[in-house]
Amino acid sequence: MFQEAEKIYYFIKRDMISFSTYKTNIALMVLSALFGALSFAYLGSNAEMQKVLQLYNMSFTAYLVIGMAFSTYIGQALTLVQKTINPWHLEEVLVSPTGLGTFIIGSSAWGFIWSTIVVAIYLAVGSLAFGVVLSINIVGTILVLGLGVGTLIGFSMIGAGVLILIKQGDPVTWLIGILTSVFGNVLFPPQVMPYQLQIISYFVPQYYFFTAIRLMMIGWSIQMILPEILALTVMCAIILPAGYFIYSWCLKTARRNGTLSWF
Amino acid sequence: MPETAIETRGLTKTFKSKVRNLELRSTIFKRKETLNVTAVDHLNLQIEKGELFGLLGPNGAGKTTLVKILCTLLPPDEGEASINGFDLKRQQMDVRRSLGTLFSVGERGVFWRLSGYRNLEFFSAIYNVPRRRRHERIMEVLDLVGLKDKAFENYQKYSGGMKRKLSLARALLPDPPILLLDEPTVGLDVISSKSLREFIKKDLSRQAGKTVLYTTHYVEEASQICDRVGILNRGRLVACDTPSAVRGIVKKGEVVEIRVKSIKDAQVGVMKTMEGVIDIISEMEDAVLGQRRLRLHLRNMDVLPVVLDFFLKERIRLIDLRHEEPTLEDAFIELTGRGLEE
Repeated sequence: MFQEAEKIYYFIKRDMISFSTYKTNIALMVLSALFGALSFAYLGSNAEMQKVLQLYNMSFTAYLVIGMAFSTYIGQALTLVQKTINPWHLEEVLVSPTGLGTFIIGSSAWGFIWSTIVVAIYLAVGSLAFGVVLSINIVGTILVLGLGVGTLIGFSMIGAGVLILIKQGDPVTWLIGILTSVFGNVLFPPQVMPYQLQIISYFVPQYYFFTAIRLMMIGWSIQMILPEILALTVMCAIILPAGYFIYSWCLKTARRNGTLSWF
Repeated sequence: MPETAIETRGLTKTFKSKVRNLELRSTIFKRKETLNVTAVDHLNLQIEKGELFGLLGPNGAGKTTLVKILCTLLPPDEGEASINGFDLKRQQMDVRRSLGTLFSVGERGVFWRLSGYRNLEFFSAIYNVPRRRRHERIMEVLDLVGLKDKAFENYQKYSGGMKRKLSLARALLPDPPILLLDEPTVGLDVISSKSLREFIKKDLSRQAGKTVLYTTHYVEEASQICDRVGILNRGRLVACDTPSAVRGIVKKGEVVEIRVKSIKDAQVGVMKTMEGVIDIISEMEDAVLGQRRLRLHLRNMDVLPVVLDFFLKERIRLIDLRHEEPTLEDAFIELTGRGLEE
């Protein structure tokens, strides 16, 4: 167990050193986060939505800043596994005495650490520059993040598995990305859409994630968001193992066919 | 009785390959048909502990597929194998712990923005090198491959030879008893290639006592450093013995080396069709003077007058002629009917 944890530490160290060499890119990413937070907070301050206030008991500015902050996190989770599972690196690790689970966690760990930094930037800008009042329920936030990220990693593994087999394009990640932007409760609540479209939201895990995480940011208790937690738990319990199973199967198939490094 | 490090019994791997067949015209989808390509064909091989074994074969002979099967990357379709006494299918983690693998394209899996040291630090964790030994071991292997001075230089600044050496250092990191080296000298210049070969023979094989499976399509490499060589052709092991014994297979035939002037490719083609000529390797020696070296592999010396008569008729100028001892390449041609570079 300790040995596996240590391996994950070295994955993070490797990626952090590699990442830190792209200095201009880091500066641009931080600036993008800052400007993103500023622009969305500004947009929110000028277009209050009565409906938002009713549903979440927060201003549209707070709604947007929290949505944008965590959409970065979710976007990372969705694409991270397939980005880090470079087939050539995969071959090198598959011939070593390191398990697939350690490899997946290790390969994606640094991306989550960086996303957490980006979330912190968004929330700090919203709070300091636009007076967004945050009263974070830390335990609840960690729980919602764990369930949301777990579900999205499940999708990400399905996408990575498909990519290993079909070699180009990944319809799974693309579809989840589209569903997130329209029905995921990121930039506007689905309740502003026609009822028929609202129904789709209830089948998208991101809807529950963004609803729950916003309420955790303003200090609601876990008991108050039990329906969302329950929905996310069920989705995570299905999608995460399914993702691991599909990814392992695709990997096994590619190994059997000898096409693992054909990209 | 010597212990076996690598043993395969009836090992087979077949790939399915979709190819276009323009004769199938009914629909666009039916123009592709599936072909089965047997990359490794019922291979039986035994490599003893401490042996430096060369696996020789042209491109596509199945060398890399065999290495990938042995390192657990590819599952075989049929047959069995054991590595260091561990079953390839049932004890995969033990097999991986027993091996250091250098793939034929060595730059994959290495992180370009990290120094050589940091790359090895990462891989030492992945290969379970004990933490207390890690720094010492990394410096040891860097020293072994001659990269100690460049340890903290970024990998992307390394030359081709240095990159290959770092890949070898990575394979050596966990100090495995068996090394699978898939065409380790590909892409290296003559000097780097020679020094790497010497290192493999002297330091790894003789001094450290490692078992090495060394695949190559360079005949001289195998002939110079290996204790035994196997010739792989279309996935089958067609010969397996010491380099001199394999060369001896050609004793049945004769090898004649001729240097000529003003010979055309078409004339070499005609010579290849002559009765008793098994094969001819033609190599341009001096393009300005039009001087060529022909290595004729003949069934017997009775064929030689026919060849010389052809030179006379075609006005091909003969510079010199030598009766040669057969090489591994000659043995390969004898056994497979095709040259190593084909």
